[in-house]
Amino acid sequence: MAGTGTAHLRDADDTVLRVENLVVEFPAPKGRTVHAVSGVSFDVRAGETVGLVGESGCGKSTTGRAVMQLPSPTSGSVRFGGVELTALDDEELRRTRTKLQMIFQDPISSLNPRRKVRDIVAEGPGIWGLADDNVDTVLENVGLDPAVVSDRRPHEFSGGQCQRICIARALVMDPRMIICDEPVSALDVSIQAQILNLLEAMKERYGLTLLFIAHDLAVVKNISDRVVVMYLGKMCEVAPPDTLFAAPRHPYTQLLLTSIPVPDPRRGRSDRRITGELPSPLDPPSGCRFRTRCPRASERCAAEEPQMRAIGDDHFVACHFPD
Amino acid sequence: MTDTITQPNSGPHHLLQVSHLSTSFATTHGSLRAVDDVSLTLDRGETLGVVGESGSGKSVLVRTIMNILGRNASISDETKVLFNGRDTRALTRAEARHFWGREIAMVFQDPMTSLNPVRRISRQIVEPIRYHLGLDEKAAIELAVELLDRVGIPEPRQRLNNYPHELSGGMRQRVTIAIAISCRPKLLVADEPTTALDVTVQKQILDLLAELQTETGMSMIMITHDLGVVAGYADRIAVMYSGRIIERADAIGLFESTRHPYTEALLRSIPRIEDPSHTPLRVTSGRPPNPLSLPPGCRFSPRCRYAQPPCTEQEPALTPASVTHEYACFFPVGSPENLEALAANEAARATSTGLELATATTAGAGAV
Repeated sequence: MAGTGTAHLRDADDTVLRVENLVVEFPAPKGRTVHAVSGVSFDVRAGETVGLVGESGCGKSTTGRAVMQLPSPTSGSVRFGGVELTALDDEELRRTRTKLQMIFQDPISSLNPRRKVRDIVAEGPGIWGLADDNVDTVLENVGLDPAVVSDRRPHEFSGGQCQRICIARALVMDPRMIICDEPVSALDVSIQAQILNLLEAMKERYGLTLLFIAHDLAVVKNISDRVVVMYLGKMCEVAPPDTLFAAPRHPYTQLLLTSIPVPDPRRGRSDRRITGELPSPLDPPSGCRFRTRCPRASERCAAEEPQMRAIGDDHFVACHFPD
Repeated sequence: MTDTITQPNSGPHHLLQVSHLSTSFATTHGSLRAVDDVSLTLDRGETLGVVGESGSGKSVLVRTIMNILGRNASISDETKVLFNGRDTRALTRAEARHFWGREIAMVFQDPMTSLNPVRRISRQIVEPIRYHLGLDEKAAIELAVELLDRVGIPEPRQRLNNYPHELSGGMRQRVTIAIAISCRPKLLVADEPTTALDVTVQKQILDLLAELQTETGMSMIMITHDLGVVAGYADRIAVMYSGRIIERADAIGLFESTRHPYTEALLRSIPRIEDPSHTPLRVTSGRPPNPLSLPPGCRFSPRCRYAQPPCTEQEPALTPASVTHEYACFFPVGSPENLEALAANEAARATSTGLELATATTAGAGAV
């Protein structure tokens, strides 16, 4: 993998977000460069949930932030509703981005501790001079009682409730798309289920499109319509979740899947192991970036970067030697 | 394990025997009982998994056993911790220093905070070896190299000169494991050892712990919030809720003949990798009770689908259903009483604690 290419992009009329050849690099000391995201492409159609999944350092969060232009990508194209975000000036971007909202991993630190819940949720409409009469409705829709919560401050709520407030704050702007960056990773399993079900329900009610970034494969499978597996700033495999999890073709996807601890004591532990360490994004391997840890790596993998190609019905893989 | 209650002083039969352990913390709002009357035993070579959500008391439980709590904690007088037949609470400070580390060692969640960031790996691993085993510097370094090699650290001799920040999270956790096993402890307590790690690294670390256990015959207590982790790596599992053990069984028994409604709810709420995409998750509404104002009777009753009047009148005790399976519930899952309770609640559309059954399964709705 860890490849590039755009074979998996779809030509659809209802594409909400189309990211092409996204590159994000950060300067590092001694004139070096951190290659955080190196040529990632994906698209999201209206009403769809696309999951970006991968381990620490794969660039999934950086990708989500680059879509928001926080910061703008080093190169590549981000088209949201047909508008090229990378070409907008600050004011145009500010206007366009009201329809593109984001929720984060740590719901408590993403809320201002000194402000009341109602003011937090009503801030967006306030800035744009919009009526804030839907604040109560939105709070109710996320499962909070406006009469009880409006005058309270974030520290009075649990993590799950704070995530509901964050979702309400995103929904109140009537967005087309919400980027969810690890929205349930900090929550206990029973609360995680509440938030995942809430996101599905809100998606239905508000006609939302979601970009869902997470490291937990079971969570991503549950919520996504299409999954992009990433490794060290590149894409490995793209497919609908049921296909991807039933028949993973990329060696890295296979490894990820066999590493998950399954809540079933009869299922033995897999003997499949990943070897080696994640290479540094300062000096990523040539060719396929996974080759240094891949059981199938050959000379070709070092010399030539694999491109995304179709390997089945709506199933794409960036590997020279897929399973 | 069930004989803990009846034979609290049965001697060195078990490696670890904890009875009636309760720990409270002084807070500005009053005394908070984090662990409430927990008894457990652990045999040699056995792995006990302790599962629970945030605030269930699982970490406080092992910290009480280890005696590493802060000053605001108070341990009840009834609490008894026997390790290898010795009462650990009666140890003098000097005895304790040689006890912890040598007899019982611990691995924590975050290897960055359990390693000293300004000291080289060599210092941190050599120091306990010299202190506990009385080796000279040269022999201690040789043993350190051997240990680092054993836990899968490449080029161990060179790594000794590194500082913790120069290693990845997985490598740092390997270093803390190397330190923990350096004196061949009889018991290793691992408190969420892989929670901060990626899934492929998590598997490496869990496999390493299992191998080390087979090699050395040590016992292990594995604290985790992840049912998947205990399913694969624990012999017996205790589920904690609101400071109490509410169900305890061998791994297969717990997953395949779940008796407590909370365990059932926990198992249902996890997204399963084998389920098709968009499978609705079975949500348990509400959240664990505030430990400063516990509900009357069973602590899970306000969230339980099966709650009946007796559940709020009396707190069910942990009772054995078989030699290997205990639970604390009046209407255990899989019993005729349980089915009757559910049928009655469904007919009334609410449980005796006022939980509306319609909201218990619907998405998003219901108080958080």
